[in-house]
Amino acid sequence: MRYLIEHETVLEYPRSVREHHIELRLAPRSDGHQKVLSCIIETEPAAELASYNDYFGNRADYFCVIQPHNRLVTRLRSEVETLKENPFNFETIPPLEEFEWLHKAIRLAPPVNDFVLHRSMLTPTAMKLAEAIECAFPRRDKDRPLLDSLLELLAWVPTVLTYSSGSTEVHGALTAAVRQGSGVCQDFAHLFITVARSWGIPARYVMGYLDPGISKVGETLATHAWAEALVPGAGWIGFDATHNLLANDHYVAVAVGRDSYDAAPQRGSFKGDYAGEQPSVTVTMQEQ
Amino acid sequence: MYNAGIQGSKPRTPYHEFYADDFTPRDHYRLLWDHIKATGNSALEAKAHESQLALQAEGVTFTVYGESEEGIERIWPFDLIPRIITAPEWVKIESGLKQRVRALNLFLGDLYGEQRIIKDGVIPPELIYQGRDFRREIVGIVPPRGIYTHVSGIDIIRDEKGEFLILEDNLRTPSGVSYMIENRVIERRILPEFFNKYRVRRVEHYPSLLLAALRALSPRGKDNAEIVLLTPGIYNSAYFEHTFLAKEMGVELAEGRDMVVVNDIVYLKTTTGLQRIDVIYRRIDDDFLDPLVFRSDSSLGVAGVINAWRAGNVAIVNAPGSGIADDKAVYPYVPDIIRYYLGQEPILNNVPTYQMTNVQDREYVFDNMERMVIKAVSESGGYGMLMGPSSTPALRKEFVDLVTENPRNYIAQPVVYLSRHVCYMDGELEARHLDLRPYVIYGEDIEVVPGGLTRVALRKGSLVVNSSQGGGSKDTWVLAE
Repeated sequence: MRYLIEHETVLEYPRSVREHHIELRLAPRSDGHQKVLSCIIETEPAAELASYNDYFGNRADYFCVIQPHNRLVTRLRSEVETLKENPFNFETIPPLEEFEWLHKAIRLAPPVNDFVLHRSMLTPTAMKLAEAIECAFPRRDKDRPLLDSLLELLAWVPTVLTYSSGSTEVHGALTAAVRQGSGVCQDFAHLFITVARSWGIPARYVMGYLDPGISKVGETLATHAWAEALVPGAGWIGFDATHNLLANDHYVAVAVGRDSYDAAPQRGSFKGDYAGEQPSVTVTMQEQ
Repeated sequence: MYNAGIQGSKPRTPYHEFYADDFTPRDHYRLLWDHIKATGNSALEAKAHESQLALQAEGVTFTVYGESEEGIERIWPFDLIPRIITAPEWVKIESGLKQRVRALNLFLGDLYGEQRIIKDGVIPPELIYQGRDFRREIVGIVPPRGIYTHVSGIDIIRDEKGEFLILEDNLRTPSGVSYMIENRVIERRILPEFFNKYRVRRVEHYPSLLLAALRALSPRGKDNAEIVLLTPGIYNSAYFEHTFLAKEMGVELAEGRDMVVVNDIVYLKTTTGLQRIDVIYRRIDDDFLDPLVFRSDSSLGVAGVINAWRAGNVAIVNAPGSGIADDKAVYPYVPDIIRYYLGQEPILNNVPTYQMTNVQDREYVFDNMERMVIKAVSESGGYGMLMGPSSTPALRKEFVDLVTENPRNYIAQPVVYLSRHVCYMDGELEARHLDLRPYVIYGEDIEVVPGGLTRVALRKGSLVVNSSQGGGSKDTWVLAE
């Protein structure tokens, strides 16, 4: 599939702010599953952009606006070609060899440890999660392929959470979402990740976009979030718990991280006496 | 593997730095001893008084955090009897510290690079990935010449046999060096006659050594180096030292709000406009250094400074991320780190250490808490610590709970009875426990300033030397031959 994505963020301040530094993670990833054909980022006021690849391999673009301003706009326009038509098209290995495969993968690439070990408010310990949850969480069946257990987990998440736009705070505690039984796509992804990690399976957070023709989460389009788990023999596979789907060519991945904080599309720091900014975000995604 | 066991339960006799036995001083203290005997206590009393006045006049102070948020400023406590280290003793300390600092810098370069030491199974990955001070944000950035810790302050103690042991590494923003210098200045003024009897090596050139190391890091060349000392401000316990070092080196003392980053260049705001900065000697923690990258609620740092560093336009001293190497949970592995990178045996040993993540170690420590020191791995300055011998049952219970809940966050060590030295206390010469913090500068080469800050536990019998916990200090003499 070929998509044109436009993503605009407007920040407005009742009193002017200055020395504003912004870091963006908006540029889609380029990997075996998707090709970035074009990617342009503009800002208002105009600024000089620089970029680097962060620890998780995401491209970060950053800039600053030093002079006082009341409004700051960032605009991304990117064309992406996605290639993963069949998400089940991968090899697996016998269940008894799976953990050996994972241990070897982690030993060769120590940073993968983060995706097993990391705990935060967003991806808490299994104990903290168990305290907040009313039902038991799914158990991994040691005699069956890990993928089966992950698919059961994928189906289980929507039995705990109902999608409800704006029901939780950005980077809010997962236990709060679980207690109220509703959340947004971030919470679905974090819940999947939390349980997968408790099984010892590396799992990471993905921020990106989902074709609005597939998305069932409401009329206003914004960024989407899902999880990726390291499946023995196959590599990183995307699990969209909000829709109970494996990520395919309708998904455009932008940034990955241990949780939503690492993969936040925009962060900033400025001088000024106003702290309650509410970014207004407009996203469009069109099939070309 | 780090268990050293505890020998018996009866109290052991600490090493005495000054006396060989009850009646005779050690050889290198004999001249000093003769002099004190000849002049008598009343002369010492006058000198002690004089030193107090001098410290007051110089404004040599430190800040204690207590009930109030802002801290209380106190005159720096100074004992006039110097601590003397012989030339052969110093050779061992110096070579041991150089070896350690070299290995720790290779370790940091590896952790923020390929992580060979983890792949080779020498260091468990949990130790790094669950460490609060492993900074993912700087992975892949290679600081100039691979040096992370340009300034290290390494705490050394002496065990009952007189062997020098490393107690802890301070690789973030080690403080106290200004007091090392002030102690020497006061001692020279008050007791010039002492210096006539010994050949004491100089420490006063520390600021010029540091300045040369800072200059050498300037991206625009050392003859074109604009340097600032970045301080968190007047409420910081080490603010005296920040002003002292800035003045001695002739560099600007700045707070975060005095600086701005524009398109990856760091500037100081001056009355005549923006002035480009090449080197930042920062005395604030990583957490507060850059609100764009680390703690977003920090108002002490400079937004964008990490990106400027990555772009190679500014040097930051010590390099961000250095803290993972002095994490107390990493400390037990330092001997292995030295062997791994240098292929050498450590010249200076560690204090035996129990890892609280190891169930057997943990049970053993819980059964012997009265003989243990338990330390929180990411605290310093004597905070977050249990001193077994002087602890109450309630406090011990509290620490059992704390350790059980988060074992990665604690280590334990058998109490080492720090060596003692005579101190002039209210008209009497009395024995007090002490340690030593020498300072290591890693510039063109690694240099250990001959001396350091000797910290004294002023309370009788106390083993806590931190100035934040009622410690004092002595001038430290390293003898030339």
